[in-house]
Amino acid sequence: MVDLALKTLLHDKLRFLITVSGVAFAVTLVFVQLGLFFGLLGNASVTIRNLDADLWITPKNTPNIDFANSFPEIYVQRVRSLQQVVRADNLIVFYMFMTLPSGARETTEVYAMENFKAWQFPWRISEGDLDDLKRGDYLFMDQSATRRFGAFRVGDYREVQDRRLKIIGRTQDALSFTTTPLTFMDYHLAQILDPNNFNGRTSYIVVKLEHGADVEAARKEIQRRLPFNDVYTVADWADRSERYWVESTGLGLNMYLTVFLGILVGVVVVTQTLYTSTMEHIKEYGTVKAIGGSNRDIYRIIGKQALIAALLGFAAGALLAFVIRHLVYGMGLKLVIPPQMVAIVFVGSILLCLSAAAVSFRKAAGIDPAIVFRS
Amino acid sequence: MKTILAAQEITKTFREGSESVAVLKGISLSLVRGEIVVMEGRSGSGKTTFLSIAGCILTPSSGRLIINDEEINVRHPGLLPTVRRRCIGFVFQQFNLFPALTALENIEFALNIKGIKGKVAHGRAENLLDAVGLAERKHFLPRDLSGGQKQRIAIARAIAGDPSLLLADEPTANLDTQIGEQILDLFRRLAKQEDRALLIVTHDQKVRAVADRVVEIQDGLLAA
Ligand SMILES: Nc1ncnc2c1ncn2[C@@H]1O[C@H](COP(=O)(O)OP(=O)(O)OP(=O)(O)O)[C@@H](O)[C@H]1O
Ligand SMILES: [Mg+2]
Repeated sequence: MVDLALKTLLHDKLRFLITVSGVAFAVTLVFVQLGLFFGLLGNASVTIRNLDADLWITPKNTPNIDFANSFPEIYVQRVRSLQQVVRADNLIVFYMFMTLPSGARETTEVYAMENFKAWQFPWRISEGDLDDLKRGDYLFMDQSATRRFGAFRVGDYREVQDRRLKIIGRTQDALSFTTTPLTFMDYHLAQILDPNNFNGRTSYIVVKLEHGADVEAARKEIQRRLPFNDVYTVADWADRSERYWVESTGLGLNMYLTVFLGILVGVVVVTQTLYTSTMEHIKEYGTVKAIGGSNRDIYRIIGKQALIAALLGFAAGALLAFVIRHLVYGMGLKLVIPPQMVAIVFVGSILLCLSAAAVSFRKAAGIDPAIVFRS
Repeated sequence: MKTILAAQEITKTFREGSESVAVLKGISLSLVRGEIVVMEGRSGSGKTTFLSIAGCILTPSSGRLIINDEEINVRHPGLLPTVRRRCIGFVFQQFNLFPALTALENIEFALNIKGIKGKVAHGRAENLLDAVGLAERKHFLPRDLSGGQKQRIAIARAIAGDPSLLLADEPTANLDTQIGEQILDLFRRLAKQEDRALLIVTHDQKVRAVADRVVEIQDGLLAA
């Protein structure tokens, strides 16, 4: 088969480039925007998803992991006495001022537990031993803190609430939605540093159930025993934390809007270039009809052109998005582009390009083959 | 002799708003196999209009059209592409080659449209190009060919599907006299070789040279 569609596309290389760039631009925009969205959203729940618990007990109406009230720490006993519960521990999450070597005062978000290792939390440790936290005024700091707090080394001291704490370890990937750097310390040290809020009190109780236990039944039972708290499964608690940021910051709206704009730009560019191209080749399509081609032959030609633009545009756009992902990673920004997203954007590009061709289809269907006799 | 084209009492009236112009007022014309008919007439006399109707591109206002013993139902335009594909080859004043396709591909594409594909189409396109004397130009794009060469390729493309009826609208109008004569010569030879019926409409009197019969269109009717 002589490929009139492709040859005609390649015959006008500049227009072809514009079409493909239009699709690529839209694809990149959608990937980057969705990737940023999921990346940021992932930060809002990354600690919840990585702590090895089945249930989270929170103060009533806590909107997300970062903004918790406190409740009596002895509640944990009521949970531990449950038969399906393998382990239940208190977890304090709170904010502290930290004075940097430069003299600047910054905020850090502290996670404090008695036994971190039992919860495989934090989950990526590049330096230090978590067991040492118990032994004194120590803390672990996440690598991402270097962006705000400057470089640090294990062995450095930092002043926190008028107390000198020694950094004895370094974690990776422990982020917060607010980008406040995370630190980790012993539970009792946290209570000493913030006695007003945490003297005899905790922010959360995390619960590990027996293997194969009925999670929902256990959740209900705990909720019955602690009527002034909320009890969530990991998935629900993570969703709640994420949803808070989506709804309160307009992040969701912003994402939808940019994705919509990206799609719009892509569709408009493809529609426009395909349509001008169809108009410019109208006499050729008339000739195709004159030599016996049907509308279907012409749809196939235009459809194929749209498809080629979609495929190449998608490939270029996806490639660019992955390059950008690599570049912004170095800047501390995370683009999350899961395979499902790639698949959806791929199918979306093809469908949108074909629908962009619809305008040209209509034009082509209306071509009067008598046009071939006109000059 | 077998009749290839029989047009009977063809009329065509164009309507533009409230005005209507009767361009063809009852034209009857038949072509038998192997016959070359030249239709002359002044500019605007309706030559192209008649050719379009005979080529199943335009539908007449009234009249009957029979091609290869088959009555064309002109009230059913959806069937016309099939008639064009199977029975008719066109040659145009403007050549109308596909600018993105090479000489060879232009012919091969026409064969593809007519349902002949793959190696068969390729081989046949090469033979046709050879028949019009342009074998060594097969990879040239139309923009790199002269007018005469383009029209030869167009002729090769027109006979590509082996149509029994060839229709040409002013095939020499964009060519020098000498080149025009060569083209007509080639056209005549190829039409006669395969016993095709050929209708050429033109206002160029020199085309008469290749005609078996000349008719003239005047005031929407064929003059005697
Ligand atoms: N689609 C149309 N709508 C309205 N009028 C038309 C249409 N096509 C042709 N006509 C009119 O019909 C008349 C005959 O046109 P046609 O093109 O058949 O003439 P022609 O003999 O081929 O002329 P020429 O030698 O200049 O090519 C002209 O007056 C033209 O304006
Ligand atoms: Mg004309």
